[in-house]
Amino acid sequence: MSEPALELRNVSKYYGEFCAVNDLSLTVPRGCIYGFLGPNGAGKTTSLRMILDILRPSSGTISVLGSPSALAVRHRIGYLPEEKGLYKKMKAWAVIAYFAGLKGLSSGDARRRAFELLERYGLKDFAQAKTEALSKGMGQKVQVLASIAHDPELVILDEPFSGLDPVNQGVLEEIVTDLRARGRTVLFSTHVMAHAERLCDRLVIIGGGRRLFDGTMTEARRTLPHRVRLHTDDDPAPLRGVPGVTGLISDGPGAWQVELSEGADPQLVLRACFERAIRLRTFNAAEPSLHDVFMKLVGPSAREASFR
Amino acid sequence: MRYIWLVGLREFLENARTKGFWIGIFLFPVIILVSGALPILLAKKGISTRHYVVIDQTGEFAPKVRTELGRQRTTEVEDALHDFARRDPAPRELARFIRASGSNQPLSRLDLDGWKRHAGSNYLTVSGFNPPRAAWLEVPVPKGIHPSNDVPSIEAQLRPWLRGEFTLPPSEANPSPKLFAAVIIPRGYGVGTNESASLRYWAENTADTSLRDSIQRQLSDELRRREYRSLGVDPAIIARVEARRAPITDLNPRKAEGEEKVGMADRLRQWAPSFFVYLLWVSIFAVSQMLLNSVIEEKSNRIIEVLLSSVTPGELMLGKLLGVAMTGGIMMTAWFGSIIGMALVQARIFSSAAAAGAVNPAASLPTDVLSLFQSTWLLPGFAAYFILGYIAYATIFLTIGSLCNTLKDAQNFMGPVMLVLMVPLFLMPFIPRDPNGPIATIFSWIPLYTPFVMMNRITGSPPIFDVIGTGIVLVGFDILILWGCGRIFRLAILRTGQPPRIIELFRWLRNR
Repeated sequence: MSEPALELRNVSKYYGEFCAVNDLSLTVPRGCIYGFLGPNGAGKTTSLRMILDILRPSSGTISVLGSPSALAVRHRIGYLPEEKGLYKKMKAWAVIAYFAGLKGLSSGDARRRAFELLERYGLKDFAQAKTEALSKGMGQKVQVLASIAHDPELVILDEPFSGLDPVNQGVLEEIVTDLRARGRTVLFSTHVMAHAERLCDRLVIIGGGRRLFDGTMTEARRTLPHRVRLHTDDDPAPLRGVPGVTGLISDGPGAWQVELSEGADPQLVLRACFERAIRLRTFNAAEPSLHDVFMKLVGPSAREASFR
Repeated sequence: MRYIWLVGLREFLENARTKGFWIGIFLFPVIILVSGALPILLAKKGISTRHYVVIDQTGEFAPKVRTELGRQRTTEVEDALHDFARRDPAPRELARFIRASGSNQPLSRLDLDGWKRHAGSNYLTVSGFNPPRAAWLEVPVPKGIHPSNDVPSIEAQLRPWLRGEFTLPPSEANPSPKLFAAVIIPRGYGVGTNESASLRYWAENTADTSLRDSIQRQLSDELRRREYRSLGVDPAIIARVEARRAPITDLNPRKAEGEEKVGMADRLRQWAPSFFVYLLWVSIFAVSQMLLNSVIEEKSNRIIEVLLSSVTPGELMLGKLLGVAMTGGIMMTAWFGSIIGMALVQARIFSSAAAAGAVNPAASLPTDVLSLFQSTWLLPGFAAYFILGYIAYATIFLTIGSLCNTLKDAQNFMGPVMLVLMVPLFLMPFIPRDPNGPIATIFSWIPLYTPFVMMNRITGSPPIFDVIGTGIVLVGFDILILWGCGRIFRLAILRTGQPPRIIELFRWLRNR
């Protein structure tokens, strides 16, 4: 069990001249929720398809559950693609059972499992409905269930949260954490930072086909200097001289970010404000969010990409 | 193998759940039944009796025409009686007559002359026998029209009747019969070749010329007879000459000695392959369309990615081929089952009738159909060519589906494929006429056409070299198609956006 669930070594993928994934290496340990983050066009879907051996990498090696090809261990992998679709004329339970059957379950087990999952995640009443009659969110839940019906060791979800309302996003988060609780590994891609922040044990951020960050949530936050956000109508310039303050950045009218050196206490800034008679409307000493990390890492390249 | 089966089963169930599938299965036997029964129904009920008047100013020709038409009508009724006598159970009076005549002849050999002598002038009045409705019926000239008037004034008076403005006195079958046609034989008719004195046939409907033709034939005969007589030929000789007919018997050298006569079974044998080719075409086309639709659905839904994370493209492709083959196979089985079933049931009815002493030429049709199925290679040939042809076409359609994201894209590819598919239909009428001729032979060797053309030739005893050779070429072609399309399918199935250009396809074929 010590070997990682997934390992990519120097993987690249070229489409003709265009390089979709550039020298990507990453390791996903077992039993964790692993976030796969990146802006549009960063190469997330291409990477996931290579992991699943739907696409072949141009160079580099991939090891999935100890096997060089996902196809050899495909019964132990679950996959939800980015664009969601179901057979319109099939009933919800039949879709789940069909995909479970393709993953090696006997038809009886597949059927049992389909009903069990639909019941557990609040879709019992729709089990006999044709999927074309389901709402988009329900259809998507059915598809997620179809991807985990065979109780895979590794679940790969491509943008699983897109298109779901907050309630169903909660249900999906529950599904994901349930999987981890049972020792399964979940790799999911997203560009919604809130989910990644709540769920991920580890994450990788890629941009322009390159790996920009790989590590735990704490490590991700550490890539940014500690900062304090504050709102004031006064001029905060006097804070520059305070020990531990390394920078002062305007963050909109009356909003400021105060950058602190490693290990500096935000309380010092608060005290300095009182001492220097800077009247505060808000003072926020929270750690940098994943959003900040993401924007700092991929912001420039993502903008560039979107104008390409 | 299990996954191919699972994919195939799902495909089949999806198709089997559609209305189209069931309509297809049930509609076909219904169409067969209706198309068989329709001509009979039409003949009985379709055309109502048409009324006409004859105005003969010569006074010589009308009686001749009437006698001849009457004789034709009598023949028609006698034929109907003949058919009626063969009916099971045999009509009472006729059965009694046949028994009384001491012969154990089947009713089909009803001795009409004997019956006529036996029953007298009412020989056509048999209980339960309704003479067929006459197609034509002469009616008296409407009141107020005097046949001796000059032709233009008679015609002026007849016009409103012919146009339907006035109707004839009501009859049993028709409450307001219309005057369909008027035949006017003017004075001086038949003297010399005077154009102005030609017979005048008036009718609004110029399509149904049966009365006109019949009258013309009789009058021509009559005029010829007069001509002969004026030349001094003995009327007995004229009658003898006219009675002369050129006898013709159709024979087929392929049949066993003593059975060379060409009958219904032989015509069936010659034309059945065309029917089979048409079935083959319809089934392959329908089935391939299903395949195209299902691939495009999976592709546009991106279900394909989930599938490909579970099964290999090869398994997916074979599974889909299998599933749709099951659909088509079941449809075919149902169709042939219904034909054979129908033939069996009818054969049984007729054979019990035959056991009771009735023989009907139509009764041999079901038996002919059955013996055709048993004795020739039609059925096994059809099965083999269905499978081999299906593999080729279905794979091509599947690959087209994999190249396209929408049905619209697919239409562009479909155009040329449809053109190719139409060719066997165009060839169909020519091949039975010359089943081993150059056209048939050349097209047999083109793998895409082999199933259709060989099916068409199958009862024409094609050379064994052609049968085996084209078979091998076809199997080889199927393998090649599966291999090549497998490669394209694998690459195309995940592709989004514009369908690739032809040149790209060749590149895909060369490297992976």
